[in-house]
Amino acid sequence: MQNRPAIVAVGRTKFGEHYEKEPEKLIEEAWLKASKDADVERKNLEACYLSDYFLPITNKLGLEEGFLSELTELHVPMEVTRSFSSALSNACNAIQAGKYNIVLVGGIEKMTDRWDKIRDDLMLLEDPWSYYAGCTPEANHELMLRAYIKKHGIKGENIEKLNTALAQVSVKNHLHAMKNEHAQYQRKITVEQVLNARKEAHKPLGIYDYAPISDGAATLILTSEDVAKKFTDKAVYILGASSATDYLTFPARNNMTHFLVAEIAMKNALKMAGINLWDMQIVELYDQSTVMEMISLEDLGFCESGKAWRSIYESCKDYKGYYEIDGKKLFVNMNGGLKADGNPLGATGGAQVFEVFRQLRDEAGERQVKSDKELRYGCILELEGFGTKGYVYIFGRNKK
Amino acid sequence: MSSEPIERRVSYLGDRLMGRRCRICGKEYFEVKDYCGNCGRKSFGKMADIDLFYEKGKLEICTLVNEPTNKFTKFGSYIYGIVSFHDSKIHVPGRLTDRLTKCDEEIDFSAFEGKEVVPRFRRRYSVDRGDVIPTISLAFTLAEEYYPHQKYAIIKPSKEYDTPGIVGYGVYISRFRIKEGNIERSVPFIDEDAITAAVEAGKLALIHSGVDGSLVGKVYVGSESNPYAVKPIASKVAQVLKLGESDEDVQGVDAIDTEFACKAATSMFKDAASLVSYPKSNIQYAMIIGADNSQAAPRDCPGGELDLFVGFGGCAYIFGKHDVIAEIEGWYSCTSDTPDFWRRDGEPYPMHGGRFTGDPAYFKHVRKSAGKLMERLNLQVGDINYFVAHQPNVQFPVKIAKELGFKEEQYLPSLQVAKFGNTYSGSSPVGLAAVLDVAKPDERILVVSYGSGAGSDAYSLVTTSQILNKRERQKLTVKYQSENPFLEYVDYTTYRRLKLGM
Repeated sequence: MQNRPAIVAVGRTKFGEHYEKEPEKLIEEAWLKASKDADVERKNLEACYLSDYFLPITNKLGLEEGFLSELTELHVPMEVTRSFSSALSNACNAIQAGKYNIVLVGGIEKMTDRWDKIRDDLMLLEDPWSYYAGCTPEANHELMLRAYIKKHGIKGENIEKLNTALAQVSVKNHLHAMKNEHAQYQRKITVEQVLNARKEAHKPLGIYDYAPISDGAATLILTSEDVAKKFTDKAVYILGASSATDYLTFPARNNMTHFLVAEIAMKNALKMAGINLWDMQIVELYDQSTVMEMISLEDLGFCESGKAWRSIYESCKDYKGYYEIDGKKLFVNMNGGLKADGNPLGATGGAQVFEVFRQLRDEAGERQVKSDKELRYGCILELEGFGTKGYVYIFGRNKK
Repeated sequence: MSSEPIERRVSYLGDRLMGRRCRICGKEYFEVKDYCGNCGRKSFGKMADIDLFYEKGKLEICTLVNEPTNKFTKFGSYIYGIVSFHDSKIHVPGRLTDRLTKCDEEIDFSAFEGKEVVPRFRRRYSVDRGDVIPTISLAFTLAEEYYPHQKYAIIKPSKEYDTPGIVGYGVYISRFRIKEGNIERSVPFIDEDAITAAVEAGKLALIHSGVDGSLVGKVYVGSESNPYAVKPIASKVAQVLKLGESDEDVQGVDAIDTEFACKAATSMFKDAASLVSYPKSNIQYAMIIGADNSQAAPRDCPGGELDLFVGFGGCAYIFGKHDVIAEIEGWYSCTSDTPDFWRRDGEPYPMHGGRFTGDPAYFKHVRKSAGKLMERLNLQVGDINYFVAHQPNVQFPVKIAKELGFKEEQYLPSLQVAKFGNTYSGSSPVGLAAVLDVAKPDERILVVSYGSGAGSDAYSLVTTSQILNKRERQKLTVKYQSENPFLEYVDYTTYRRLKLGM
């Protein structure tokens, strides 16, 4: 592939409850950090691609581009989409087409400003008919788990193992987040806590199974392959990028035990990157729930359908920092995932890219993965809605 | 504020659960799609209308929602899941209704999964008091419980009668009861109201009569608890039950709400009978529904005495001249301006005149219309097999029956107030239904309604032989609903909460 887009810098805020800050302040902070990272100045930017899932609803903010223009004094083209991955997709297209050489990609969300209505908003946007029927953002995850258990005939002792494995996903992500200074929850939790929360809620999944609502922003600076060299000799390249779309109404989909969009996007992204699945050692998954992390391992092809929970269970008995799947190591959600790092929707994908970028450049500090072989490739999976859209990006450190 | 256009579109699809089937590949959609996703352009014009309103589905998977989204908080906890229809060709989301689920209840989901469920027309969720009331049929109950699945088969009439009369009827009483002393009263579930009860009753009447809904030319809904001061219940009934010919999204039917306290429905019997008899009306059938979530102030407030008697439910009758089960032999109505019971506009609960509601009101008017009708038709008490009166409490109908000379075997079969409470506009219609459930051919029924304000309608009906054949079509009889093993009894606090609704 010609002219691969290169990431030269990343920046992000801490994710969490930023009650005192306007949304613009968060994106400003993330941008300034990225700007400093690679010494990119405002005047270098030829365009901005931004994302927020529902800032116009949560903050009654229309035309976010205008706010950003006021903030940066920039009058370049700016476009707003819903997820960081979709903003990145537009940025990649523009770079590859040769239209621009340096662009800013940013994501922002301010969910706590509307904490009391956020679940209604989320559910209505995600799947209106299910909302009308009484669905909650959590219920779809639980139904997916029910469907998974039924489809794969998981019974008796194995149900307990599956439930434990899902709890371990959360425990593992919290463990990772302890080394992430940007994470919303930098604290350890135990399997017992996760299981007790389910018991207290009288539900298959409890509070520790779900990602929180968060405020936060993340940015990156994307350049063309040649221009990247001016800023850094450690650029991270986008080798593969793909997305797919599925029905809005979850019950209307053919298969309720996986996300078709993740499967399609991964296949196409791998083809584009020209690498094999297991060339990748680091993956940032979209764990809105522990079920999503488990199912995504299957959708992306790392685990066979119906078997991810076994690999998780076995890997987490004595967790060494990675999942061991058929003898191979996979580092998953090193930043703590959505569960512990936080999930400010429009910015979440930015934090995922941030993590892979740092890891591939050996800049992840305490949470730097210790791989037996050279760490060359990583990928992210970002979903919009409840699997209505799925984006996969494959990143590579060295130019192939 | 809600969006009325969105409301209209959502309830247009959701109340009836409408969809389309591709005639080429058979794929089904819960959506009125003009073309099939599989077949593309060639499927234009080849999409058949389907709806799931009279179907039964299967609850595929479910979970407990005990922290609902804001608009659902009044439900508390409920079971939510995915329901399949037509051998899994179509899947819809849905919640189980008519179930008081505790938020800390340990639920074995597998006990529900795989069960047959019936879609129920209900309120969707709560909105501000001034907003349009959202409705939906993505609410389900288990077919094996209180409300069984019943097919709606349109049956071609075999006989035309000279005299118009009742062609079919349906009684809908909710699953919940409050029991105090010797009286049991029906209590709506939190998502029920006079609108949902009217639709349910109408649906059951269509099932019982086998009448093609598109031949119903007029629908009257009598109620004194319409949640709207302005906006008819009858329009919802016409739309959801697809009465009259359907032309795009408009029904070729006249629909009107009537109000005269508890006689709002019975008053229209003669109008319906006249309408179907007038040759130029082009109306073959007319439907009359009496439905109420009978209102009463809390017990310690003015008007709170009514709280001991009020019930909930609806009763629908279809009138026509084909396959009649009970011919109307004659009627007599009387009216006087007697303020024995009233509710001012904007007030939530009615007031009543204490002892003034007795002799100068109920008894005077019932006595007058019953007496005059018997006189006109030259009927003696012995010529009448069953006597049905309006039932505001247990004492009144018994007292007037005895005064008119009726014996227990004549008036007891209709007496339902001790089982359901006073269903206001549905009261004497439910009593009549209880009699029609058991009457033999060629029996005479005298039904006398009473509406405060005040007036009374007396009708004399004579059953035909067709009453027996049609009986088999209705599982939800009065007896079935009063002696159902799945009845759920609630305490006073729960009763008030459910009755207040969303």
